[in-house]
Amino acid sequence: MIPKHILGTFDEALTALRKDLLMMAGLAERSLDRAIKGLLQRNDDLCATAIADDEEIDQLEKQIDKDGFEILLRFQPVASDLRRVISAIKLSPNIERVGDQATNIAKRARKLNRHPPLPEMELIVPIQAYAMTMFKDAINSYVRENVELAHSVCGRDKQLDDMNREANKKLTERMMQDSDQLRGYFNLLLVSRALERVGDHATNIAEDAVYTAAAEDIRHKGAAVPA
Amino acid sequence: MENLVMPSDRIAEERVEQPTEVPSNDEAAPASTFQVKNMSIWYGEKRAIQDVTLDIASNSVTAIIGPSGCGKSTFLRALNRMHELTPKTRMEGTVLLNGEDLYSSTVDPTVVRRRVGMVFQKSNPFPTMTIGENVIIGLRLNGVHDQKFLNERLEKSLRMAALWDEVKDDLHKPGTSLSGGQQQRLCIARTLAVEPEVVLMDEPCSALDPIATAKIEELINELKATYTIVTVTHNMQQAGRISDYTAFFYLGRLIEFGPTTTIFTNPKERQTEDYITGRFG
Amino acid sequence: MHFETAHNHTWRKFKSALACTIAFVSAILVILPLGLVFFYLLVNGIGSVNWDFFTKLPAPVGAVGGGMANAIVGTLVLLAIAGVIGIPVGVLGGVYLAEYGSARINSVLRFLADVLNGVPSITWGVVVYGLIVLRFKSFSALAGGLALGLIMIPLILRTTEEVILLVPNGYREASLALGVSRWQTIVHIVMKTASRGIITGILLALARVGGETAPLLFTAFGNRFWNHSLTEPIAALPLQVFTYAISPYDDWHRQAWAGALVLVTGVFCVNLLVRILTRGRGASPL
Repeated sequence: MIPKHILGTFDEALTALRKDLLMMAGLAERSLDRAIKGLLQRNDDLCATAIADDEEIDQLEKQIDKDGFEILLRFQPVASDLRRVISAIKLSPNIERVGDQATNIAKRARKLNRHPPLPEMELIVPIQAYAMTMFKDAINSYVRENVELAHSVCGRDKQLDDMNREANKKLTERMMQDSDQLRGYFNLLLVSRALERVGDHATNIAEDAVYTAAAEDIRHKGAAVPA
Repeated sequence: MENLVMPSDRIAEERVEQPTEVPSNDEAAPASTFQVKNMSIWYGEKRAIQDVTLDIASNSVTAIIGPSGCGKSTFLRALNRMHELTPKTRMEGTVLLNGEDLYSSTVDPTVVRRRVGMVFQKSNPFPTMTIGENVIIGLRLNGVHDQKFLNERLEKSLRMAALWDEVKDDLHKPGTSLSGGQQQRLCIARTLAVEPEVVLMDEPCSALDPIATAKIEELINELKATYTIVTVTHNMQQAGRISDYTAFFYLGRLIEFGPTTTIFTNPKERQTEDYITGRFG
Repeated sequence: MHFETAHNHTWRKFKSALACTIAFVSAILVILPLGLVFFYLLVNGIGSVNWDFFTKLPAPVGAVGGGMANAIVGTLVLLAIAGVIGIPVGVLGGVYLAEYGSARINSVLRFLADVLNGVPSITWGVVVYGLIVLRFKSFSALAGGLALGLIMIPLILRTTEEVILLVPNGYREASLALGVSRWQTIVHIVMKTASRGIITGILLALARVGGETAPLLFTAFGNRFWNHSLTEPIAALPLQVFTYAISPYDDWHRQAWAGALVLVTGVFCVNLLVRILTRGRGASPL
C-alpha cells in the first residue's frame, strides 16, 4: 500500500521498530490473560509466568526507545514516518504498564489463591473481559491505523471506570461487613483497580493510534470546549 | 503495592493544544507581500510553471521545496523577474507585490529587482571589489554618491547581515578573501543595502558547512522581522527549521502549501508525503 | 580480480617512459627555433644597437652610421592610430558578441571574425591602398594605422568575447538582482571583472600588428626622414628592416639586424607584461 522508502535501511529500521512494538503488545496481552486466568482459575503457575514475562516486556520498552531515538537521529523522519516513530515511543510505556498491571494482578491472585475462594470474584469477571477487549482493540486500531476502532476504545473508558467504581463500592461494603476477609476483599479491590488502569492505558494507546493515522490530537478535548 | 498510586498518563500530560489551522485565502489571513495568481511560465515550448496561485505572507519565511526541475527556482526568479534573463521565456498570470502588479507593462524590471532582492546558491561577491565596495555597489550604481550616507548604510547592512564585527577592520580587503559562509553573508548584506522589501534566497546554504549554515539560518530568522523572505531549499530539515510556510512544487505545479508544521507532520497530498518522507520512486 | 603480472607492469612502464620522452623532445623542438632566432639576432644585431640607433635618422646611401629613430617613433605612431581604430571597435564588438545579439547572428559574426583573422595581412594593405591611398593620392600614416587597426579588430573582438564569456554568470545575476541596469552591469561588473583579459588581448594584438610589414608597404610606405603630418608617408621599424635587409649594403644589413632585434625585444617585453598582468588573480582595489 505505502511505497517503500528510497533508502532501504530506513524501511528496515521502521519495520524493526514496528515488529518490536507488536511483540511487546503480544507479550503484554499474554501476561494479562495469564494473570486473569491465574486469578479466576486459582492457578499459581500461570501467575508465576505472568510475573516472569514482565522482564522481557520491560526490555522491549527500552529497545523501542533506543530504536526510535536512532531513527530520529539517523533518518530525521517527517510526516507519517515521524508520527509512527513518535507514537511508538509514546506507546511502549503504556504497553509496559499494562504488563505491570498484569504483574500486579498476578501477585494479588497468588495471595487470594492461598485462601478459600470468595464469591465476590464474580464482580471481577465482566471488568476483566471489558478491559481485555479494550486493550486488544486499542492495539489493533494502532496496527491497522483504524481511526474508528480507536475512537470506540476511547469512548468505552468511562464505562469501565463506572464498572470499577461499582465494584469498589460493593467490595468496600463487604469489607465493613466481613472484616475476617478484609485482606481478600482488599486484594480484589486492587485487581479491579488494575483492570481500570489497563483501560486507561488502552485509551492512551488508542489516542496515539488516532494521531498516527490521522495526525489528529484527540486528547483533553474537554479543556478546549467547556460544555 | 508500588503501582497503586501510579498516576494516569493521560492526566499527567498537560501539553498545550497546537492549533492546526490551514491558511485560508479569505480576509482573515495575514497580510500578503506577494499575491500570485494563475502563474504559468514557459521556456520556449517547455512549460516550467503551471497555473500556480499562492499568497506569501509578510514578515515570514516561506520555503519552497521539491525535487530538481520541479520549477521552484523558476517560481522564485519570477518573483523579481530574474527569469526573464533566460531567452524565450513567456509568463502568464499576475504577481502582485503589496498590491502592485510586477508585470504591468509600465513597470521597469530593474525597479522590481530593487524592491525584491535575491541571494544566490553560490556566494558571488564581486571579485574586483573590496568588502566595503561590494556592500554599497548596488547603491552606487543606482546613483547614490553621498559618502556619509554610503558609510552609514555600509555599517547598517553589515550589522544586519551579522558580519560587521567580523569584517569591520578589513573593509578594504577583497570580498573574495572571506570564508564561504562570510561571503554568503556579505552577499546578503549587499542585497540588504539597497533596502528591498523582500529577500529571495535560492538555496543559500547548499555550499556551506553546518556552522556557516546555522549562522545563515539564524540570520534569516532575524531578518524576518524586517523583510519577507522566500527561500528555495533542497534540505527538508532546513525548511523545517527556518520556515513558517512551506510550498511543495512538483512537475511545475504547486502541490501543497501550508504552515510548515502541518506540511511536515500531516501533509494532505500523497505526493507531498512521498517526497518529504523519501519515498519518491 | 588479479593484480597485473610483473611483465605487464614493466611493459607499461616502458611505454609511459617512451611517451614522456617523445613529448619532451617535441617541446624542445617548439622552443628551439625561438632560441635560435633570438640568438642569431643577438649575435648579428647587438653590435649596431647603440645610442645613435635610437636617436639618429638613417644615414644617406653610402655614409656609415645613422639610426632608426624615425622608424621607432613611426611604429609607435602607427600603433597609436591602429589602437584608436581597433581597440574601441574590437572591444565593443566583443562585448556585443558576448552579451547581446541572438545566437544565430553571433555565430555568423564569430565565423566572419575568424575568417578575417585568417586573411593574409598584405590583403589589408591592398584594401586600404585601394580605399584610401588611391582616393587621396598619397601614402600616409593614417592609411598605415588604419590597415593595422583593421587587423587588430577581429583579434581583439575574439579575445574580448572569450574573456567576457569567462565571467561567471553569477556576477551578472547578482548585479541585476540589485536593480542595476543591464549596461551598467556590463560596464561596471562584467568588463571590470574581465579587464585584465581584455587588456591582455589588446596588448597581444598590438604586439602582433607592431611587427607587420606587408600591410604597410602600400599604406605607410616608409620615410627616410621625420614625419610631420599624419597624411604623409611615415617610417616604421619592420618596414625599415625590410628595406635595409634587401639592400646591397653591409652597413644597412647590420642596421636591419639591429632593427629586428629591437622589434623582437619589444614584442618580448609586451608578452612579458601580459604574463605579469595575467598572473595575479584576485581582487584589485577600485
